[in-house]
Amino acid sequence: MKTIDRGILSDYDLKKPGNKIIYYLMMVVVLAMVCTMLYPMFVILFNGLKLNTEVNSFPPTFLPSEVHFENYQKAWSYIKLPLFARNTLFIFAGNMVMTVLVVGFASFSLSRMNVPYKKVIQYFFLLTLFIPPTTYIIPNFVNLRDLGLMNSFWALWLPAGANAFFLLLLKSFFDGINMEMFESGRIDGASEPRLFFQIAFPLSVPIFATLAIFVFSSAWNDWYWPSLILSSDDKYPLATAIYKYVINVRRLDLNLRFAILSMITFPPVIVFLIFQKYIVRGLHLGGVKG
Amino acid sequence: MSQPSTVPIRSLDALPKKPPAKWTKHLWGYLFLLPAVVIFFLFLWMPIGKGIVFSFYHIDFVKGDSFVGWENYERVFMDPEVWVSVKNTLYYMVLGVLIGFWVPILFAIAISEMRRFQGFARIAAYLPYVVPFVVLYGLWRWLYDPVGPINALITKVGLDSVLFLTDKAWSMISIVIMETWQSFGSALLIYLAAVLSIPRDWYEAAEIDGAGVWKRIRHITLPAIKNQIVLLFLLQLIATSQGFQTHYALLDGGPNNATLTYALLVVRYAFTRQDYGSASALGVLMFLVLGLLAVIQYRMSNKKEA
Repeated sequence: MKTIDRGILSDYDLKKPGNKIIYYLMMVVVLAMVCTMLYPMFVILFNGLKLNTEVNSFPPTFLPSEVHFENYQKAWSYIKLPLFARNTLFIFAGNMVMTVLVVGFASFSLSRMNVPYKKVIQYFFLLTLFIPPTTYIIPNFVNLRDLGLMNSFWALWLPAGANAFFLLLLKSFFDGINMEMFESGRIDGASEPRLFFQIAFPLSVPIFATLAIFVFSSAWNDWYWPSLILSSDDKYPLATAIYKYVINVRRLDLNLRFAILSMITFPPVIVFLIFQKYIVRGLHLGGVKG
Repeated sequence: MSQPSTVPIRSLDALPKKPPAKWTKHLWGYLFLLPAVVIFFLFLWMPIGKGIVFSFYHIDFVKGDSFVGWENYERVFMDPEVWVSVKNTLYYMVLGVLIGFWVPILFAIAISEMRRFQGFARIAAYLPYVVPFVVLYGLWRWLYDPVGPINALITKVGLDSVLFLTDKAWSMISIVIMETWQSFGSALLIYLAAVLSIPRDWYEAAEIDGAGVWKRIRHITLPAIKNQIVLLFLLQLIATSQGFQTHYALLDGGPNNATLTYALLVVRYAFTRQDYGSASALGVLMFLVLGLLAVIQYRMSNKKEA
């Protein structure tokens, strides 16, 4: 971030008392926003450390009066988190492979290989963006059932390749790669797959990293659709399992509930805080062009 | 999108040495497209097509499907819940704009003015976006609880406690507040980037000409981010018109159908009543309505430019 010598307000403006009040008022509002953002984060963490009676007390306390780490132990044995985490990673890996191979190949061809009827094919992909998900959610379910993909990871992996938004992002990125590199590659006798894997792919690592963030966050977040398609514990991703066994269960003690929630909240949060510079830049790359 | 790069390829191919047959020349190009064409066909176009077909059928996984003509559409139009859900969805979209839409714009401008801790405020605003939805459901149920922290604050101020989730008047508002809290950070990043890319000398010039702070915001900042505002407005309307997961997870459409959105009703038709035909008919109707709106919008924006 470059240093700002002035914004809407200049230093001179800030010396005027009227503007000064507005400025500090704004800062108070931003501070309040930051607090409302951070407070629930700490609630998840601290409620997981309290006794159940303290979580249920009124008025609620913020800091735990005594710290109970054994909640985490109990929570760990309540639900098979490693199994569900493994499923989530499986789903993410498969979706990512499909994105690179299917969407990557297609957008490379559209952008760089100049086949006849390219426009028609492009419309075939992009028109799907205009159809609301509500329209095909039910037929999609029946369709996957007809194809015999129920309760299999393929029901999530294969449709991951049908993403017109990713196709658009990748294509506009490939459009920006210098054409001469491919020309010289072709003259040297490189095959088209080789051009893709040895020139286009390495040059597009930033955009694939952005897509990886999108794909990961949907694999980590999606709970509804997997809960329709998958139907056994050895298939459920983390989010679906948490919904089924933690959110939707009445008997579970609140403190254990929060202990489990904090266990699945903080890994992505910590990863985000460490890599936030790259992630925010990547999201920007994806957001502006899309 | 036009391709400036077509010329070099043609000239290369025009070299007299080896004129390749047309199909081998484009073989790889089509081979690269083939998987995507198959996948898009199988998992997007086929469901879309099947949806239209299903809307005229009674779907039975055991006994097989049977053609019923317009019966599904008639059932849907006679169902009072459909009209309730249409009303709720419109209400949800309006609330999303009233409660949520201006928040990221306001904070983008405020944060862009911060001389210190700008990065920190930005990260804090984005943080909830990283939290999985299922965690939010657990968290906000506790925050909104009749004896939860928000009500503790309200009663401390001296007001009556609010049944955020079980009061019909509040349930939809509570959902919108929660979703705004969760997701305004991503819109904020887009606005913030746009606000920060406005040239500083515009403000300088305006200041010299005697424009006050509000005038500068109104006549420089807001017009400069107009494109982002329009785009995110449309995206938000589209997204909220499809929303149902939060309503389903937190309240299952209750209390008394107050948070029953259109998409939730589609899901309910399919998985609670096992009536996949009528659910498909509802889906087709949504497509028709949105398509019509898109055409009208396109016509209007074209007229404005002409």
